[in-house]
Amino acid sequence: MAMVIENEGLLGFPYWSSARRRFSPDSPFFASGNIERELLAKQIALDLTEDEKHQLQNMENEEGRAVFCPIVGCGARLNSLEGFEDHYNARHTASCSVCSRVYPTSHLLSIHVSEAHDSFFQAKVARGFAMYECLVEGCGLKFKSYKGRQQHLVDKHKFPASFEFFKKAHTSKKQRLKNQRKQAIHKREEASCTMEVEDETIDGLVSAVSKLSTSDSPSSVSFGHRHTRGLTFVPRAVQREKRPDSTPAGMKR
Amino acid sequence: MADEGLVSHKRDPLKSSVGNVAAHRRRQHAVTIGKERREAVVRTKRLCRVGISEDSDVSIDNDMVLDEEQSILEAQTSSAVKELKASVAYQGKGVMQRRVSAIRELRCLLSRSEFPPVEAALKAGAVPLLVQCLSFGSPDEQLLEAAWCLTNIAAGKPEETKTLLPALPLLIAHLGEKSSLPVAEQCAWALGNVAGEGEELRNVLLSQGALVPLARMMLPNKGSTVRTAAWALSNLIKGPDPRAATELIRIDGVLDAIARHLRKADEELATEVAWVVVYLSALSNTATSILVKSDVLQLLVERLATSNSLQLLIPVLRSLGNLVAGDTQTSNVLVPGHEITDNAIAALIKCLKSEHRVLKKEAAWVLSNIAAGSIEHKKLIYTSEAVPLLLRLLSTAPFDIRKEAAYALGNFCVAPTEGAGKPTLILEHLVSLVGRGCLPGFIDLVRSADTEAARLGLQFMEMVLRAMPNGEGPKLVEREDGIDAMERFQFHENEDLRNMANGLVDKYFGEDYGLDE
Repeated sequence: MAMVIENEGLLGFPYWSSARRRFSPDSPFFASGNIERELLAKQIALDLTEDEKHQLQNMENEEGRAVFCPIVGCGARLNSLEGFEDHYNARHTASCSVCSRVYPTSHLLSIHVSEAHDSFFQAKVARGFAMYECLVEGCGLKFKSYKGRQQHLVDKHKFPASFEFFKKAHTSKKQRLKNQRKQAIHKREEASCTMEVEDETIDGLVSAVSKLSTSDSPSSVSFGHRHTRGLTFVPRAVQREKRPDSTPAGMKR
Repeated sequence: MADEGLVSHKRDPLKSSVGNVAAHRRRQHAVTIGKERREAVVRTKRLCRVGISEDSDVSIDNDMVLDEEQSILEAQTSSAVKELKASVAYQGKGVMQRRVSAIRELRCLLSRSEFPPVEAALKAGAVPLLVQCLSFGSPDEQLLEAAWCLTNIAAGKPEETKTLLPALPLLIAHLGEKSSLPVAEQCAWALGNVAGEGEELRNVLLSQGALVPLARMMLPNKGSTVRTAAWALSNLIKGPDPRAATELIRIDGVLDAIARHLRKADEELATEVAWVVVYLSALSNTATSILVKSDVLQLLVERLATSNSLQLLIPVLRSLGNLVAGDTQTSNVLVPGHEITDNAIAALIKCLKSEHRVLKKEAAWVLSNIAAGSIEHKKLIYTSEAVPLLLRLLSTAPFDIRKEAAYALGNFCVAPTEGAGKPTLILEHLVSLVGRGCLPGFIDLVRSADTEAARLGLQFMEMVLRAMPNGEGPKLVEREDGIDAMERFQFHENEDLRNMANGLVDKYFGEDYGLDE
């Protein structure tokens, strides 16, 4: 199959590299052309009707390509690439009504809501209950700390060590201006949004969480044209470390 | 291959009014084919329904076989084989005639329907008898009928085709220059079916020396024999081992014949020869360099430009694509400024405009490879009609075509790679393409479930974010919901894509984004 040389700069980003792509004759790339050849040859023998030709064409369009949803933990099998968009919109766009973060499943969303917006959750954690639920649907295990759950995800479910469930929110300019007025809280929020949630005192957390009430954060952050989704990306110092096990999985052409 | 040239009747018998059963049968078969396609089993074989030589008696009666008739057919086949056996053992008067009649009877049974009773024939022991009938010195009629039977047996399932192993050396032998033409052709047809079965059988045939006699049969100017031989050759050299392809191009007279046929032959023969070129160019670097130095390249471009037959255009386009793809950086196949290059681009544009999906996709692929050449190449295509067509394909075509269009458009924006480090961008092209609205198309690719497409989209977005003047990049991307698209990778299972997307968002949509306005 074709291989494109990757240029990785400082960022580790593989830049677009202009290169020729060559395929072997039995490559799936050529499959539709091959089918056309044999169909047309078969036509001489079979005299397919227009309907049958269309039926076969439709079958080829699917190209037997079993598309699997790439969202972690989903893996749903889809009929076609076209079907993926529908699937994604239907199943992976659950958003938090408090902070507008978007999650790919309602399971993850509910975990987020408990862990980020529920003061009673933190109260129970402080009292030693195992509250941090495993992210993988069907597992059901719970842990006393965020770290503990994280470790479980890596050990048991082979999540990459860099996988972060809870991240600081990246908000719109409007929202940031609002937040700048509450600098002190914002700074505290920064600290509390890192992984070591259990280092904060209950009081600190509760007050921070209560300040994130619906009166301050709009129920839908307006950003660009989509009005119902908030941004969840943030400068991620953690990510910039080189991971020893980063392999180009799935980067075949 | 049904020789429609000699026999004027069309395939009407299949449309006979046996009513719903017939239609159902055909549909079933079509569905079966569909299933096979999905399992990527490409039928490379051809059933022989009609005789090659003019005086073979042709009886295409109602050949829709109903279910009840199938078992009758099988019974008839068994008894035909029995009769054949008897006739082979028979020593008395009129032995030749009896033998020929027996084989012919079997041949008719094996040619009647789309589902010849091969299993029944094999079970009754047909193959060893047919092998005997192929012995040297047998009358032509006998050889022809025997080879015909074997052709149709070999058009079936793998295990059925494998039973022909004992017959192969004889079939190859009868390709010889002293054989009568119809006999040689029918043997070539049988061998083509055997070769189409798979790599193992191909290797057997090659070891037994099938290549040279078949190649020789492709040298004359015209005739159905030439066409059948070309088709059989394409099955024989299709690899994946490149040795047969390399050997073929080196045989005396082959290159000349290929060029001659591409130049002058009718579209049917040119089609089969073009498929030979497809495999030569895809598998063998030796063949590629020989072809490129010859007239073949130009002849391919001419055919591409002038023909309207999809059957022909597909292998011609693909051959051209293979030759361009196999091109090394140092010696460009299509040099900017030469007439052939302009003609090639014009012909590719014609394919982009075609309604046929395969042509659009593979033409975009070829253009993307030409665009991966020097800056002159990029400028040459960029100023042509290709770009608006590619832009439209990027927005509206089916997914696989969109991906190829994306490759081409992106390649316009990047200078040839020289060693390590960030490749230089061709800003003028990038700005122009973004100005013509290509960004949504790339962002759409980012949203797809296909890893390669998502990667392409992200790579293009990176260029836009990095290089659009006046820091416009991030705003443009945001406007087209690009941030949204990158967000999806937060929970994506592919680590590389996650890192790419995260990296871009971190760098271009960090906390300071939008603050200085």
